[in-house]
Amino acid sequence: MGDQSNSPSSSIDSSSHPALCSTSSIFQTRRDLLSTDLKLGLGLSTSALHGCSSKEREQLSHWPPIKPLLRSTLEEKVHRSHSKTFFVKVYMEGLPIGRKLDLLSHNGYDSLMRTLRRMFRTTITCPDTSRVPPEKAHVLTYEDEEGDWMMVGDVPWEFFLRTVKRLKITRADKC
Amino acid sequence: MTYFPDEVVEHIFDFLVSHRDRNAVSTVCKAWYQVERLSRRSVFVGNCYSVLPERVMTRFPGMKCLIVKGKPHFADFNLVPHDWGGFALPWIEAAAHGCPGLEELRLKRMVVSDESLELLARSFPDLKALVLISCEGFSTDGLAAIATHCRSLRELDLQENEVEDYGRQWLSCFPDSCTTLVSLNFSCLKGEVNAGALERLVARCPSLRGLKLNRAVSVESLTRILDRAPQLVELGTGSLTVDHHSEAYRRMINTFHKCKLLRNLSGFWDVDPRCLQSVYPVCPNLTVLNLSYAPSIQGADQVKLIRHCFKLQKLWVLDCIGDKGLAVVASTCKQLQELRVFPSDIYGTGTAAVTEEGLVAVSSGCSKMNSLLYFCHQMTNAALITVAKNCPRFIRFRLCILDPGKPDPITNQPLDEGFGAIVQSCKDLRRLSLSGLLTDKVFLYIGEYAARLEMLSIAFAGDSDKGMIYVLNGCKNLRKLEIRDSPFGDAALLENVGKYETMRSLWMSSCDVTLGGCKALAAKMPRLNVEVINEGDESDEMEENPSDAHKVEKMYVYRTLAGPRNEAPDFVWTL
Repeated sequence: MGDQSNSPSSSIDSSSHPALCSTSSIFQTRRDLLSTDLKLGLGLSTSALHGCSSKEREQLSHWPPIKPLLRSTLEEKVHRSHSKTFFVKVYMEGLPIGRKLDLLSHNGYDSLMRTLRRMFRTTITCPDTSRVPPEKAHVLTYEDEEGDWMMVGDVPWEFFLRTVKRLKITRADKC
Repeated sequence: MTYFPDEVVEHIFDFLVSHRDRNAVSTVCKAWYQVERLSRRSVFVGNCYSVLPERVMTRFPGMKCLIVKGKPHFADFNLVPHDWGGFALPWIEAAAHGCPGLEELRLKRMVVSDESLELLARSFPDLKALVLISCEGFSTDGLAAIATHCRSLRELDLQENEVEDYGRQWLSCFPDSCTTLVSLNFSCLKGEVNAGALERLVARCPSLRGLKLNRAVSVESLTRILDRAPQLVELGTGSLTVDHHSEAYRRMINTFHKCKLLRNLSGFWDVDPRCLQSVYPVCPNLTVLNLSYAPSIQGADQVKLIRHCFKLQKLWVLDCIGDKGLAVVASTCKQLQELRVFPSDIYGTGTAAVTEEGLVAVSSGCSKMNSLLYFCHQMTNAALITVAKNCPRFIRFRLCILDPGKPDPITNQPLDEGFGAIVQSCKDLRRLSLSGLLTDKVFLYIGEYAARLEMLSIAFAGDSDKGMIYVLNGCKNLRKLEIRDSPFGDAALLENVGKYETMRSLWMSSCDVTLGGCKALAAKMPRLNVEVINEGDESDEMEENPSDAHKVEKMYVYRTLAGPRNEAPDFVWTL
């Protein structure tokens, strides 16, 4: 890992680099700004980047040189580890007052179903059970990022977490 | 050669596999040019703006496979504006008119619209292969068109593209009569696919060898797919999240046991580390393993997995594997040829990563190494010198020290000597990326020793124009030079202008080149396109007649037979 407090310019002895002129000091400033950017991490302090044009700031964010798919995968992991909760609204058909539920406190569909059954005191059937649901049973649906209402349970849990906006428990005979 | 009839010459040319060899023989005499062009089956266009599409079709009417590359490499890192260019449509239109026998199209870093995919599908119903790498501009509607019309498709390979998702039905568009698929890769798609349609497609394609799924495919679906296709050689898993106590998990392990031919494994999206054991059965046969999209796997779990993979030739991992993990790689993977270690901590929050120690360990243990991409926190000259001694066979050597301009932490010296050792020792080096604190001296070494170097990437390096001049005057085989944030100016740019006609392209951004310098280059070399890219929306000075002394933010120079392009956006000035 190493000590990140050494900035590059402090380790250059100007006597061994007689060619240091104004152009390379601008170039060093860019390197310093980039190092600062890296060190400050997510909590970018605007004072440290003061005097830096927005174009330069944009340029500095194109580092390290990794492709967009890897960048978004890593950023997502950071966001996930930083946000400890993800509350969504849950309504049950026929009840005007809804509840709120933290999806991140569950590790999968089974856990989610158990919590909801307890919260709403009703049986909720899953899409892959072959039992014919009785009239009193309900199914769990969710609104995805496109505004469509879908049955819960068809897609991988992690994928579901990325697209779910809210939940609704509806009567089984409506689906 | 007047003694040989054309058929014999053509037969001899059949033995020439590389594009370069075929290009070379076509310049010998008119007769050979004719024979060669009529018998050329695969055409490679490294820069889509270097030649007009129609000209290519006219010259090679028998073309079966067309490969075109668009944007410059730094577009991968967002340095090229979004609508700079690189459109596929002109190429597809020209092929539709001029080369009806086209069977394979491979595009990289191009803008491919749904309209062009539909044109492609309708014009080439017998298309056998479509490969799109790092492209953008299309959606699942375009894919639906391909699936619908290309009835004998063998290969649909989508690598790292930006694809708009308009619904999951495109896979259902493959007709029941489509049974020819050999390779299908949709790992870059963000949206759901119809699981049933996917499973039925796999079931009716007995020749399927490669399948790379996306994150939306569940473990249950993966298991059903593998049950139908145990003959897979390449697999990219979907989401590997499953309760490891569940029946679904047990079934997945059993299925992996049946995949005796599996050699290439990737995916691992959202993987739960406890599920990694499920792939242990296939590890001893793996030659390629890509764990680079799995930041949730800790180093220790990665190591446990890799210990089973003693036949590995290609390994892509994240740097959370650590130096100790790389030592395990060194002792386990004796056949290793290519290693890529990507950064997992891009915000510099200070989590564990790799240093020079890991690289030295791998170089000692894996003498067959020839390709490296290594993101690390620090590097020393001593380490690079050792690596150069241990692995003289490097063809690709790309080092990225995350803190730009960082010197050798032990001696505080620049890394000139280390990279110098690499270029001296690795006589077959074709691609090199530099990082760390570097003076002009490293370029002196590169110019002198890197005789086979074709592509050089420079960032935050050098002291003066001399650095770039050493490279331009030295590296005989240089084809692509890309430079960012380095103090090279007009003197370097204009020192050896003839050199650029022997190269494919030059990219310089955030350097010291001025508008005047670019104009001078354009004036001297009419067969180059000198593009100046100005995105400045904030500074009015750039709008009205900027002075020649104004520094150019981004410049792209390339040789071309097509002249300046007529569809360049406003912010691109071709001088």
